[in-house]
Amino acid sequence: MNKVETKKGSVQEKGLEKETLLDIQNLKTYYPVKGGFLKRTVAHVKAVDDLSFQIKKGETLGLVGESGCGKSTTGRTILRLLKPTEGKILFEGKDITNISGSQLRKARKDFQMVFQDPYASLNPTQSVGDIVSEPLKNFKKMSKNELKEEVLDLLSRVGLPPEAYHKYGHEFSGGQRQRIGIARALALKPKLIIADEPVSALDVSVQSQVLNLLKELQGEFDLTYLFIAHDLSVVKHMSDRIGVMYLGNLVEIATNESLYAEPLHPYTQALISAIPETDPSKRKNRIVLQGDVPSPQNPPSGCPFHTRCPMAKEECSKIKPALKEVKPGHHVACILY
Amino acid sequence: MVNVTTNAVKQQEKPINMSPFAIARRKFLRNKLAMVSSFFLLAVVIVSVLAPYITTQDITKVNIGSMSLEPGGEHVLGTDKSGRDVFTRLLYGGRISLLVGVTCTFLVILFGTVVGSIAGFYGGFVDGLLMRFTDFVLNFPFLVFVIVLNTILFGLVNGLWVLIGVISLLSWGGVARIVRSKILAEKENEYILAAISIGCKPSKVIVKHLLPNVLSTIIVQATVTFATLIVAESALGFLGFGVPQSIPSWGNMLSASQEADVLRDKPWIWMPPAIILTITILSINFIGEGLKDAFNPKSNR
Repeated sequence: MNKVETKKGSVQEKGLEKETLLDIQNLKTYYPVKGGFLKRTVAHVKAVDDLSFQIKKGETLGLVGESGCGKSTTGRTILRLLKPTEGKILFEGKDITNISGSQLRKARKDFQMVFQDPYASLNPTQSVGDIVSEPLKNFKKMSKNELKEEVLDLLSRVGLPPEAYHKYGHEFSGGQRQRIGIARALALKPKLIIADEPVSALDVSVQSQVLNLLKELQGEFDLTYLFIAHDLSVVKHMSDRIGVMYLGNLVEIATNESLYAEPLHPYTQALISAIPETDPSKRKNRIVLQGDVPSPQNPPSGCPFHTRCPMAKEECSKIKPALKEVKPGHHVACILY
Repeated sequence: MVNVTTNAVKQQEKPINMSPFAIARRKFLRNKLAMVSSFFLLAVVIVSVLAPYITTQDITKVNIGSMSLEPGGEHVLGTDKSGRDVFTRLLYGGRISLLVGVTCTFLVILFGTVVGSIAGFYGGFVDGLLMRFTDFVLNFPFLVFVIVLNTILFGLVNGLWVLIGVISLLSWGGVARIVRSKILAEKENEYILAAISIGCKPSKVIVKHLLPNVLSTIIVQATVTFATLIVAESALGFLGFGVPQSIPSWGNMLSASQEADVLRDKPWIWMPPAIILTITILSINFIGEGLKDAFNPKSNR
C-alpha cells in the first residue's frame, strides 16, 4: 500500500481554507443493555462517549482505533442510521440530530456510506443495475433510458464494465463488489461519504486499487471523506487529518504529518510503534500495552486510558482530560500536555 | 476424475447472469420426485376444475333407486348411501377442498407475512405487541373455535366462506413467527443499512429488500400450510363441521365412513376420497421438500 504515491499536500492546503461541512458536538451513542424479567434497561454500552470534531469541505478525516472502540458506531450515528443519545450533528450548519421520517430521507441525499463487508452490503436478489439505480429512483424522476445511461456512467467511473449492469453481486469478486458499493454511494452525488473500513475485508493487492479509486473520485466529485479504518498505513495514505479513538473517546486529532511525526498521546504512540517496519535494520522501540481494553459498559473513571497507560499518574483516574490544542491543528486529550 | 469433469461440464453449461431464483428453478426442475408430484397436483387441479365437462351426473340429487351400488357400469366408482355417483362427487369435492386450501393458504401467508415482517423490521414495542397478539391467536383451541364460529355464523353467510375465514383467522400465527425470525436475521445485513441510507422508505425496505430474501422460506412455508389446511378442512368435514353437507368435499365424503357398515363393507364410498387426499398431501409435501432443497445454496441435488 505504501508503494502508492501520495499527493495529499495540495488537498490538505485547500481543505484548511474551506468551510466546515460536518460539525460533531459532544456526540454520545449508548446501546441499552436489557436484562431482568421485564426487559428493563439495566446498563448502557457507551460505544461513543462525548465525541467532538469537525470535517472541512474536501478533506479526508481518518478515524483509527482498535476493534470495538466505537469507530463504526460513530460513522453510523453521523449518517443517522443509529439514534444519537446526546449531542449534536451539524451538516452544513443544519442540525440533523433529531430530524426523522421524510425530512431525514431527503437529507440522506447528501451523505452516503461505503460499507465494510462487500459480501453483506449488496442485496443478493438485485442485479447491479438495480442496486446502483435505486438511490436515483428514490430521489429523482428519470426516464428508463436516462437512468440506465447514468448507471452505466457510474459503473465506468468506478472501473466496472458495462456488462456488469445485468449481473448479480455473487458473480463478482470482493474488490469488484466494493466498487459496486462505491457506485451506489456515488449515485446521488453526495457531499460526504463515510467509508467504514472499506478495504479491511479485501486482499492486500486489491486494497490499494480501491483506495486509489476512492482518491480519484474525491477529486472528480469534490467529495469529503470520513475514513474509518484500523489499519494505520491505510489511514496514513488516505487522510489529511487523523483522529485516534479509544473506548468511545477521541484521544488525539491532528494533521497526518503531525500525528505520525510526533504522536503526543501515549495511546497514539503505542499504536504508531506497532506499525511494522519494512526495513529490518531500523529497529525501533515497540511500546507494548498491558492488559485489555476495559468494557465500554463500565469505562474507567477519569481518563479512559489510565488503566493501561505507561505514563499514568494518580490524578489520571480522577480527571477526564478534554481535547486541548497543543500545537496548531494538533489536539490531544491528556493531562501531560 | 470423472466427477471432476462432470462438474466442469456443469459449470460450463450454467448460463451467466442467473438470479438466485433462476438457480433455484433449475435445481427444482432436476428434482424428479418434486416434478412428478407437481404433475400429479396439476392433474388433480385440472380434473377438478374441468369437472362439469368430465361428468354430467348430479352431485346433490338423492337417488333412492341406486343406493350403495358397487363400482362398475354407469357409476365408475359406485354410488354412496344416497345413491349419488362417487366419481362425480370426488371431482367436485376436489374443487372445494383445493379452493379452501388455496384461499386459506393465500390469506394465511398474506397475513402472517405482513404481521411477521412488520414485527421483525421495527422490533421493540411494535414487535412485542404484534407477537403477543400472535401468541394469543395461536393459543385458541382450533377445532373448538372453528366449530363454534361456524355454528354461529352458519346461515348468515355462505357456509364455504365462513369456513375459509375462520380457518385463515386461526392459522396465520405460525407463519408470522417464522417470517419474523427470518426477517430478524436478515435485517442485520449491511445491505439493509445501505437501503436505508440511500433513502428507501421503511415499506420499500421491507418489500424490496427484506421480503425477496426471505421469500424462499415463505414459499416453502406456503406449501406446508397448504397441505395442513387441506387436512384441516377434511378433518372438519369428517366431523361434520366443515363445509355444508350439500356441497361435496373430500372431508364430507369421508364422513360417510363414520358408519361401521360403510367402513367395513362398502370401501368404494370412502376409499377414493381417502386415497386421493393422501396422495395430494404427499405430493404437496414433496413439492415443499423440493423447493426447500432448490432454495438451499448448500444442497446440490
